[in-house]
Amino acid sequence: MSTIECRKLRKDYRRGEEVIQTLEDVDIDIHGGSFVALMGPSGSGKTTLLNLLAGIDRPTAGTITIGGRDIGTLGRNALAAWRSANVGYIFQLYNLVPVLTAYENVEMPLLLHALSAKERHQRVTEALELVGLADRYSHYPRQLSGGQEQRVAIARAIVTRPTLILADEPTGDLDRTSAMQVMDLLVRLNKERNQTIVMVTHDPSTAARAGRVVHLEKGKIIDAAEFERAAQIAASGAHR
Amino acid sequence: MNSLLRTIPFTWKNLVRRPLRTGLTVAGIAVATFLFSFVESMRDGVVKATEAGAAETRLVVYRKNRFCPFASQLPQSYQRSILNIEGVKAAVPIKIVVNNCRASLDVVTFRGVPDEGYLQEHIAQAQLRSGSVSDWLSRGDAVLVGSALAERRRLRAGDRFDAAGVRSWVAGVFDSDDAQDRNVAYAHLGFLQETAQRGGTGGIVTQFNVEVDDPSKMEAVASAIDEAFAHDQFPTTTRPESAFVARAARDVIVLVRFASIVGWASLAAVFALIANAIALAVRDRIRDHAILQTLGWTGADIAWMVVMEAAMLGAAGGAIGAIGAHAAIAFAHLNFTMEGVSIEVTASNMATVAGVLLATLLGAVAGIVPALSAARREIVQGFRTA
Ligand SMILES: Nc1ncnc2c1ncn2[C@@H]1O[C@H](COP(=O)(O)OP(=O)(O)OP(=O)(O)O)[C@@H](O)[C@H]1O
Ligand SMILES: [Mg+2]
Repeated sequence: MSTIECRKLRKDYRRGEEVIQTLEDVDIDIHGGSFVALMGPSGSGKTTLLNLLAGIDRPTAGTITIGGRDIGTLGRNALAAWRSANVGYIFQLYNLVPVLTAYENVEMPLLLHALSAKERHQRVTEALELVGLADRYSHYPRQLSGGQEQRVAIARAIVTRPTLILADEPTGDLDRTSAMQVMDLLVRLNKERNQTIVMVTHDPSTAARAGRVVHLEKGKIIDAAEFERAAQIAASGAHR
Repeated sequence: MNSLLRTIPFTWKNLVRRPLRTGLTVAGIAVATFLFSFVESMRDGVVKATEAGAAETRLVVYRKNRFCPFASQLPQSYQRSILNIEGVKAAVPIKIVVNNCRASLDVVTFRGVPDEGYLQEHIAQAQLRSGSVSDWLSRGDAVLVGSALAERRRLRAGDRFDAAGVRSWVAGVFDSDDAQDRNVAYAHLGFLQETAQRGGTGGIVTQFNVEVDDPSKMEAVASAIDEAFAHDQFPTTTRPESAFVARAARDVIVLVRFASIVGWASLAAVFALIANAIALAVRDRIRDHAILQTLGWTGADIAWMVVMEAAMLGAAGGAIGAIGAHAAIAFAHLNFTMEGVSIEVTASNMATVAGVLLATLLGAVAGIVPALSAARREIVQGFRTA
């Protein structure tokens, strides 16, 4: 189980002379096996934080320790191997590889694991069944609906049985029914497999299904109490 | 290595599942490689025919300053004097009759040779595809036809063969390692002298083929022969057979040399084609590469995918083009003849293999820069760009 500890996390982007501070002094602990929803306005740095946790981007300063390991110390290849072993990433826009079938997309991360062809087949089948797409093995992404594509993407993220699942607005582009199915699935994975999930969402009802909600604003974490107070002030201001 | 192997299936799918793009690229590469291999085969044929081997022992004695077989007239009686020269093993008087003196793709060449000796020594029984030397001896109008000429004119033993004003009967067809032999019909010298009035009648021949007993004596013997007849009514020029062919074929040699430049230029086109196709493919797949790296595939994996895709394109196009050129040459029986001398274009295995290998190699090289840039691209940038 991988507890996440972020310390003094900072991320700047440079665009020419201009420096954009995307994350500033982010300190956050996420317990292994918990389900955290990350909320905040557009541009507040949610995707950036998720990318840092996934090890696909590096912080400008600060440390990220996951499962006792400081991932900032890993080199490019070691980090890739670490991702392969520990992380499942679900994108808002699915990001399936168009030239591969549903089955092959799900198989892609497993090709990096030392598994026999038979074990691999079992895992892919199991993952596709779990997301309810056992009858869509040979479909290409363009032949699937958005909800189906997202479920294939989830199958791909969980097929390696990662300890950490990161999801960036996984239901953002889906209709209510599909969104419900996806959320049910994530909750189930969290409960049954004890996988740590960090999910970005804009939708409060979706966030409500997580065990904990973290708010980001202009690159800073706002703790829950402070957030409540801010929300009340905003609400009363609106009434007046 | 591990990295290379695990990427191959994905690379393969990228190629075969975009059949239009792959097909067009491969077709372009195939055409360019076809050109290259074709021209290289041609060059190979010319080089083989015109470059002296270390062990060359045959001289050709021709009339000085004459180039067409009809114009080269020498008394057959020279044979005696030539045989007396130190180092000469044999001297065969030959009359040559062609239907076209200038460079052409379908020339029929008759070589009149003495009844005794020459063909018996020259053509082993094993080389005969049909007929026999004794059949040839048995009829005055008989000819033994080289395999390349026989194929071009569809001749078989027992056929009548009329060309260049000579009406002959095919006594047999033979194979030879020598392109000159494969492209001629051997007739009786006396018969040719009688039947083909052009180029001199009885007692006149076109040339002598002289065998020297030691390759190192070639030059000495050649000058001795030319000196012997220098002040005669019919002065001679004597050259090694390869030099003789090279002189006759000089225009073709220049042409082939020029074509060779075109051949290499078409390899440059292969490079440009692949470089372009791969650059476009990599740009199209920035997102795919970012996805794969998110899943744990490494930069090296991505680089291998790109390089292998480029190499596979080169290999496929190269194979189709080079093997196509091989087949086209084998099928066409191309053969230039000028001044009674033949240069055969045979499918060169070297040219074919070179075509495939070079196209593959150029593909891989063309893939290197796009591969490195794809491998180095930051994952997050990849998602933002795409
Ligand atoms: N690679 C980059 N280069 C420059 N600026 C960047 C880059 N990535 C992110 N940013 C900037 O960082 C800020 C935060 O971006 P981020 O994508 O993390 O926001 P977000 O909270 O996910 O927003 P949304 O809800 O719209 O997805 C934005 O202002 C964005 O423009
Ligand atoms: Mg975002």
